[in-house]
Amino acid sequence: MAEEQESTLLLPPSTAPEAEVPAEVSPETATPEPPSSAAVSPGTEEPVGDTKKKIDILLKAVGDTPIMKTKKWAVERTRTIQGLIDFIKKFLKLVASEQLFIYVNQSFAPSPDQEVGTLYECFGSDGKLVLHYCKSQAWG
Amino acid sequence: MTDDKDVLRDVWFGRIPTCFTLYQDEITEREAEPYYLLLPRVSYLTLVTDKVKKHFQKVMRQEDISEIWFEYEGTPLKWHYPIGLLFDLLASSSALPWNITVHFKSFPEKDLLHCPSKDVIEAHFMSCVKEADALKHKSQVINEMQKKDHKQLWMGLQNDRFDQFWAINRKLMEYPAEENGFRYIPFRIYQASGILVPQPEIEPMLPVVEVQSLNHWTIVEVLKFTLLGVLLIF
Repeated sequence: MAEEQESTLLLPPSTAPEAEVPAEVSPETATPEPPSSAAVSPGTEEPVGDTKKKIDILLKAVGDTPIMKTKKWAVERTRTIQGLIDFIKKFLKLVASEQLFIYVNQSFAPSPDQEVGTLYECFGSDGKLVLHYCKSQAWG
Repeated sequence: MTDDKDVLRDVWFGRIPTCFTLYQDEITEREAEPYYLLLPRVSYLTLVTDKVKKHFQKVMRQEDISEIWFEYEGTPLKWHYPIGLLFDLLASSSALPWNITVHFKSFPEKDLLHCPSKDVIEAHFMSCVKEADALKHKSQVINEMQKKDHKQLWMGLQNDRFDQFWAINRKLMEYPAEENGFRYIPFRIYQASGILVPQPEIEPMLPVVEVQSLNHWTIVEVLKFTLLGVLLIF
């Protein structure tokens, strides 16, 4: 099979610049946040599945990892795990050199370049994707 | 599974003849000869290229060497994709040997994951196995295994030991007799940009399809179902 190919592979940007973060990852809380046109709250009449551009994620801390004040987030489907890791690290004010691991089903760590939308399709339940995060390898 | 032993062996022992050439802008103390190697399709670049690294580092100074990375015709090669996948996706229509360029500078942060040690490859591989078992057996089989079984799976891959690997992997490929198959069959579809489906990026996908309806489907039917112009299934 002969195919054309792009000369470079481009991942979705794995490190979001400061300004980009609020627009892509919006918290679902009652407290007023800086307005974001992309904010979505859970349990709305929005149709589930492909027509929804964002998916709901529930973040759970493992061990002595700091707990995020906001645990439920609506995240763009194309956000990568690495992007989510960078976001959580910023939110928890961890230094860049500190590691953060994210787990699905409390059993495996998805590859950093995997998109959360795909993980949601395969491992989401009750309309959300539950992810555990940890500063050390919890289920490595 | 025993009927398929020949097929399993053929898949495991698949090799791609490869020629590694040092990138022309790397600083060397003398000419670097290309290095030839048969790469195992089922393994990972950073797991099987220690000799390549040593070969080129012999003609370079320590200060000019940082993390090794590989590139084919301008495309950085993701080490966390199996070698066979990379080849099929990018070079299968070109003549052999597969010509890969070796770099020791300017690591492309946006395109590649870092690979500081073999432990990282092991962690990635085991995560993939666990992810697959989550779909096949609700993680029951992989979780019931002892740590030494996980280790044996990895060592089998690392040391190219078919029997050692499959002694453990066969348990991950079994399902109870009363069931007709796995709960879900995990697969990923990778596509390069092609004539029929103009997509500029390779998008790994992990679709889930109900096993009941898949029981007697062929791969072609699965592909049609997922409505993609597809190059490869992993």
